[in-house]
Amino acid sequence: MTENGEALELSRCESCGARFLPTDGACPRCGSTHIQSYSSPALGTVLAATEMTSPAEGWHAPHRLALVEMPEAVRLFAIVDGALPTPGALVAVRREGEVYRARTEPQT
Amino acid sequence: MSVHVASVGMGRYGKRPEGLIDLAAEAATAALEGVGRRPIDLLVAGSMLAHGHHGPEALLPRLAARLGLEAGSGLRVDSASGTGGMAFHAAVLALESGRFERALVVATEKMTDRTTAANTRDLAASLHPSEVAAGATMPGLAAIVTQRYLERFGQTPAICDAATVHARAMSVHNPFAHFQKAVTPEEVARSRMVSNPLRLLHCSAISDGATAVVIERGSGPATVLGLGQGFESIRLVDRDELTTFAGTRVAAQRAYENAKLGPSNIDVAEVHDAFSPFVYIHIEDLGLCDVGQGPSALAKGEIRPDGRIPVNPSGGVIGRGHPVAASGLAEVAEVALQLRGEAGAHAVARAPKVGLAHAMSGIASHNFVTILGREAT
Repeated sequence: MTENGEALELSRCESCGARFLPTDGACPRCGSTHIQSYSSPALGTVLAATEMTSPAEGWHAPHRLALVEMPEAVRLFAIVDGALPTPGALVAVRREGEVYRARTEPQT
Repeated sequence: MSVHVASVGMGRYGKRPEGLIDLAAEAATAALEGVGRRPIDLLVAGSMLAHGHHGPEALLPRLAARLGLEAGSGLRVDSASGTGGMAFHAAVLALESGRFERALVVATEKMTDRTTAANTRDLAASLHPSEVAAGATMPGLAAIVTQRYLERFGQTPAICDAATVHARAMSVHNPFAHFQKAVTPEEVARSRMVSNPLRLLHCSAISDGATAVVIERGSGPATVLGLGQGFESIRLVDRDELTTFAGTRVAAQRAYENAKLGPSNIDVAEVHDAFSPFVYIHIEDLGLCDVGQGPSALAKGEIRPDGRIPVNPSGGVIGRGHPVAASGLAEVAEVALQLRGEAGAHAVARAPKVGLAHAMSGIASHNFVTILGREAT
């Protein structure tokens, strides 16, 4: 658990060591199916973020989505709660059912 | 065994009153007449959205019946927005097997009678379900790719505007293109925001349309010199880099090796600019300019019809319109028209000897490169 009270479950390939978001498929780098989960701190850095006027079915506009880099260079898309972050912003990420959500961390 | 493009049939792209089969038959008939109705023994057809109320689960038999091709064989292919590229590759491979003499390749799409919501949902079928579950759409993910490109190369959204201006300046010369009017950078920059930094005029249109080509054994000005395909992770978060498409690079490398040619041999190219800034990524990945130099190649006039390497003289996906499955075949068709001297008002300035067509599925998860030209003797 981090100080935000959250940790994220991520995946590590036992064959090549690649780390990635949990997947229903093989290791995206080497194709191995020997995959272990591990617990990661849930703070990440925004690489890019966009606000969609016509999001996918089930969501309402404006819908904000960020590409976030977690520790060990694992990337995920997170729905942004609050204002659209700029690249480089730190966000706390949590999993909610099928999706990830991010909110901006106050700079300390 | 050599295989060449013997004729091209295009219908007008845009908002059309006809249905899917009518559109396909119009393009197919033009292509068949182009070879004097000589016998066809293989029909390869593709469509991405042809399900449900269009009733074209029976696309092949319906089209075969309409065209009187029921004595032949048929294959249906599907690779989202890359379907047309896949249809061409499948037909070439079938002819190269020696089983068939002459194939009709048709790619068709009917979109304008569907709601935007339905099109958005069904186009997102070419994305990873986990990313769609988070609300991602094609324009949303293309916007993320574009942001990364702008940041990596220190560019501004003005390069997206310039790419649309180029596409629309080309499509006004193509009588089959959806868009017959040029636009200014200011008009593009004023269009409504869809997913920042992408605005409406940076995104391909919802269009109806079909393209057909006849390919046959033998050689000519548009002989198939090389084919290549490449996959890349459909889940974007698994890619190390978003500003280059590995599937295009692999497809290009294979096609160049197959053709025993390199990027410097290409005289004209059609690339899959489903979002206008993607033209830069594609020409960089195809080796037609250096990495990060796409915007300067455009700014210097290098990709104009009279430039060093003309790109998308048809108007590309942005200018020609985007009946999704048809676009990949329209790219091949345009290169064939250019090589055959049949491009009319959109012919490039110097008669090309070798051309390259690039097609892309989804956000570049499966890409096709086709090189056409006259065989070295």
